[in-house]
Amino acid sequence: MARRSGGIEIEGIVLECLRNASFTVELENGHKVLAHISGKIRKNYIKILPYDRVLVELSPYDLTRGRILFRYRN
Amino acid sequence: MNSARFPSETDVVVTRVTDNQWQAVANDRVVADGDATTRPDGRVFLSIDSWHEEVFDLLATRMLADLPSPLYTVVDEADGDLTARWQRAGFTIRRREWEYLLPTAAAVSSPPGGVTILAAGESEEHLLRELDGVIRAEVEATVGWQQMPAEILPRPAIHPSKYAVATSSGRYVGLVRVAAATRQPRIGLIAVKAEHQRRGIARALLGHVLDSLRRSGIESAWVEVNESNDAAIALFDGAGAQRVSSNIELVRH
Repeated sequence: MARRSGGIEIEGIVLECLRNASFTVELENGHKVLAHISGKIRKNYIKILPYDRVLVELSPYDLTRGRILFRYRN
Repeated sequence: MNSARFPSETDVVVTRVTDNQWQAVANDRVVADGDATTRPDGRVFLSIDSWHEEVFDLLATRMLADLPSPLYTVVDEADGDLTARWQRAGFTIRRREWEYLLPTAAAVSSPPGGVTILAAGESEEHLLRELDGVIRAEVEATVGWQQMPAEILPRPAIHPSKYAVATSSGRYVGLVRVAAATRQPRIGLIAVKAEHQRRGIARALLGHVLDSLRRSGIESAWVEVNESNDAAIALFDGAGAQRVSSNIELVRH
């Protein structure tokens, strides 16, 4: 059975789409992180735009980086 | 800020946890996930989420050993690191899709003589389905739907509310589908029957849709186009579209 990754997951708002396929996301605790999109989001052509509310998994190795796991329907 | 150490390769254990999911675990922590998705056309697309290149490689090796070829993946071309990882696993670029942003302020093009545009919600469902079927068969017999970005996701329900339709002498000859306009709308499909092409019908359909969006207060829409689809690229260029990014599809035989 698949295990959850155990990484910290936190909601945030996309502030900016950057040129290198990454995004600046402001987390609900006020911190800003540089985030890429997860493989499943990419495979499903889910578009991420500024002001989208998203769920981000923070990197356990660098808490200024993250991965967008989910885009909420605003 | 570092809060955990990188695992060494010897720490990592890769396991196939379901038919289409793999996980890499190190020191009792999941450090990478792999996923295989079968698309409606039967092709299997892979994705891997990993914080480390080395773990990505281990997971890719295991997934490639477990699954029959060919296997596919899709990446944003601007993501050079991810593209390089897949290429290191033996994947090569199969095709490229340009992503365009279309301003809705583009000039509306009048339909050619004898052609009428039916707005979304005005077409008859059985005639719309018939047209959709004819166009699908025409595309399959020529370039094939595997070359079409619009067709890689599950087929959306065919409903008149989502389509504007071009008619000629009472017959349905072209259509355009637009996804819900709650965010930035997407032109999902625009197509004209082969015998009616090169008359400006697609341009009129596109102009109609963009004008409708503009009147709803929406400034832009987006669309994906295969780089070899010269007719579509000319259509969108003519509507003032800006190329903003590209996705590449990779394959490993």
